[in-house]
Amino acid sequence: MVKRGELSAFLRLAAAEIPPARGLVPLLTLLTVWQLLAPGPSAYFPAPFEWWRATALLWDSGQLLPAFAATVTTFVEGLALAVAIGAGLGVTIGTSRPVERALGPLLEFMRAIPPPVTVPIATLLLGYDVTMKLTVVALSAIWPILLNTSSAAARVEPLLFDVARTFRLSTADWIRQIVVPSVVPFILLGIRVAIPLAIVVTLLVEMLTSLPGIGALMIQSQRNFQSAQVYALLVMVGLFGFVVNDLFAIIEAIVLRRWPARGVFRSS
Amino acid sequence: MAVRQFSGRLSWRPNIAGLVTMAICGLVWEMAIQVGVFDYQYLPAPSAIIRGAGELAASGELITATLHTLESVFLGWAIAVAAGVSFGLLLGSSPLLRRYSLATIEVLRPMPAIAFVPVALLLFGFSIQTELMVIVLPSLWPVLINTMGGLMGVHARLGEVGRTFRLSRAAILYKVFLPAATPAIMVGVRISLTLAVVLAVLAEMVGNPEGLGYAVVSQQQALRPDLMFVYVMVIGLLGLALNALLVGVVSVSFPAASAEFKGPRW
Amino acid sequence: MAGGETTGQQQRDFVFSCRSVSLKLPYQGGNRWILADISLDIRRGELFTIVGPSGTGKTTLIRVLGGLTPCSSGSVRINGQEITGPPEGVVIVFQDYSHALLQWRTVFLNVALGIEGRVAASELRSQVLGVLRLVGLEKNADDYPWQLSGGMQQRVQIARALAVKPAVLLMDEPFAALDAMTKASLQDELLRVKQETGCSIVFITHDIEEAVYLGDRIAVINGTPGRIERTFDVTLPKPRDQIITRQLTEFLKFRYAVHQAIGGMTRWP
Repeated sequence: MVKRGELSAFLRLAAAEIPPARGLVPLLTLLTVWQLLAPGPSAYFPAPFEWWRATALLWDSGQLLPAFAATVTTFVEGLALAVAIGAGLGVTIGTSRPVERALGPLLEFMRAIPPPVTVPIATLLLGYDVTMKLTVVALSAIWPILLNTSSAAARVEPLLFDVARTFRLSTADWIRQIVVPSVVPFILLGIRVAIPLAIVVTLLVEMLTSLPGIGALMIQSQRNFQSAQVYALLVMVGLFGFVVNDLFAIIEAIVLRRWPARGVFRSS
Repeated sequence: MAVRQFSGRLSWRPNIAGLVTMAICGLVWEMAIQVGVFDYQYLPAPSAIIRGAGELAASGELITATLHTLESVFLGWAIAVAAGVSFGLLLGSSPLLRRYSLATIEVLRPMPAIAFVPVALLLFGFSIQTELMVIVLPSLWPVLINTMGGLMGVHARLGEVGRTFRLSRAAILYKVFLPAATPAIMVGVRISLTLAVVLAVLAEMVGNPEGLGYAVVSQQQALRPDLMFVYVMVIGLLGLALNALLVGVVSVSFPAASAEFKGPRW
Repeated sequence: MAGGETTGQQQRDFVFSCRSVSLKLPYQGGNRWILADISLDIRRGELFTIVGPSGTGKTTLIRVLGGLTPCSSGSVRINGQEITGPPEGVVIVFQDYSHALLQWRTVFLNVALGIEGRVAASELRSQVLGVLRLVGLEKNADDYPWQLSGGMQQRVQIARALAVKPAVLLMDEPFAALDAMTKASLQDELLRVKQETGCSIVFITHDIEEAVYLGDRIAVINGTPGRIERTFDVTLPKPRDQIITRQLTEFLKFRYAVHQAIGGMTRWP
């Protein structure tokens, strides 16, 4: 799917997009100053080195890996579910004008409810188990994907509709060969917005219900006043978010390398 | 006497199909519960939710919770906007500063807001500061990035106009660049407000036990789904209302900027 | 001989001059010469047009004269003083009026840009309205630029420049983005405004007829890098008229001369 020469040219291009490394100076300065001013363990401001020690301890105690695995699994599965259902529904809704108009306000109404709030609702309706966790993550992540996809599907260049009719494409072909490729950039855009939502909701569920995961570990550390551990987990979560976002940016760029810059749409 | 031309009055064709769909859904929901088709113990009928709303409004709990959340939202958002605009202006006008900070921003920005809750609880316990710590940082990014981008995107010609009239550097920034960047800044401010509402609720759910977020969780734990849904609806309405309020305020004070301000949904 | 240089005697008639101005800009690893050895003298109160095809550095020349871009060699002087940045008494009027005007300010406040804070508040109002009256826009003082037509917006820009009472107005193809009829009406308005204010104007254009119609003197710029091919006086009668002047035999001869100069050949008609 990706030729070798293409990949290296692409990676070179991606490397050019990374901001200069000296931009990390503020962050590194902060950490260094912190380490120097508060070198030891502390209830409120443990030194960065203590965070590292806490991480090592967590790893050795065998708690870190399972918790991390649980969180990542939920996140990935929930996101995948959201993409599958969101994109599918989005295309279905978007290609049918009356359906889009009818469901519009309802979808807008549901979108207005912030994703975190769906967690207690789901807990009440579905109980305290992994199924609920997965459902709620998928439910939160679905909105940006569904809404972006359906609005993109509804705005496909009308000229292409005439082109399809000239070539006597069936509805299935129309959707498969024209609508879907057109909305792919917008599905990806929706996923990009959905990723931070999914991460937050995953952690939120773990914090509220103490189902296994990094979130549960974080709250537990906080309740036990293990401050270094709290900061260590914060850094880990931050790194996770950073890596996931970058990974997705690369995937997005690879998938979109042959797409025109949103040229197939009616200008709004 | 200024002749102002508002860019478009309220042109709104009622979406009959949409409203009917919602009405039907509501009706079906109510019927299903009444008749007993849906015997989900924890799914309240719309009528129960309305009754619950009355109950909470009467007892004053609804108002207290709403006011608390509003307080957190406004404080957090105001701090985020002030900091975001200041840093955004600094970074937008100085390539040197940008080179020495963009990577840090790229690393800090993807940090999930919720990850700050345990740290905030550690430092501030059950207090509004905990909420603020969760709200401010993530709400800051849209403002900063839009301000910076807005400033960098100002047309080169405007800078040249400032120079040909021999305005001082400060005057060019204040009279030319800042107003030119205002539409972009306003977009960032609007996104930040929506985000602040979500974050306040989030912080109240797992952090500070006050306000609408806490009310939702506590009603869930008390197994009062009807009251829980009342709070859920209020949260949704609050977000919409604040957004509409902001759009209205901006339309009135910046007629030229408002067209771009109402922008895309996501 | 190419160039409009004169003896020291006549120097005091000249408000604005440049000597041997050359400019190079970095380009793909090396340098590219945009202007080569440009020398011009602008007399007090004259309309000096510079005409040439695209790509000859006309816009760059205006920017150098206006102090926005420093030259690589040579000097630009106003009233004998060498300039080191946008000089006092010189204002540029740009071609893209919609980007050059402050769209969030009313016409009145746009025109005030150059003089606010530098002139007493009581004076400001009368000066702005005065210059708006000069370009015929006093009724639009409270409108926003985006509410006005292209021609009107360009007049606002001209008014804004005139508000600071400049000695020299540098105009970078100001009417190029306008339709023919608006262009013609603005050309006449510019002549009238120059008559009333007495400021010198350096007018860049690629429109040969416009250059001949407006100019007291014309310089033809050509080549890459741009050089002054010829300079000559335009001895057409005044006041100029869009119909009558353009039909005169002299007009056609000047037009021919400019065409020839651009064609690379210098030949008297």
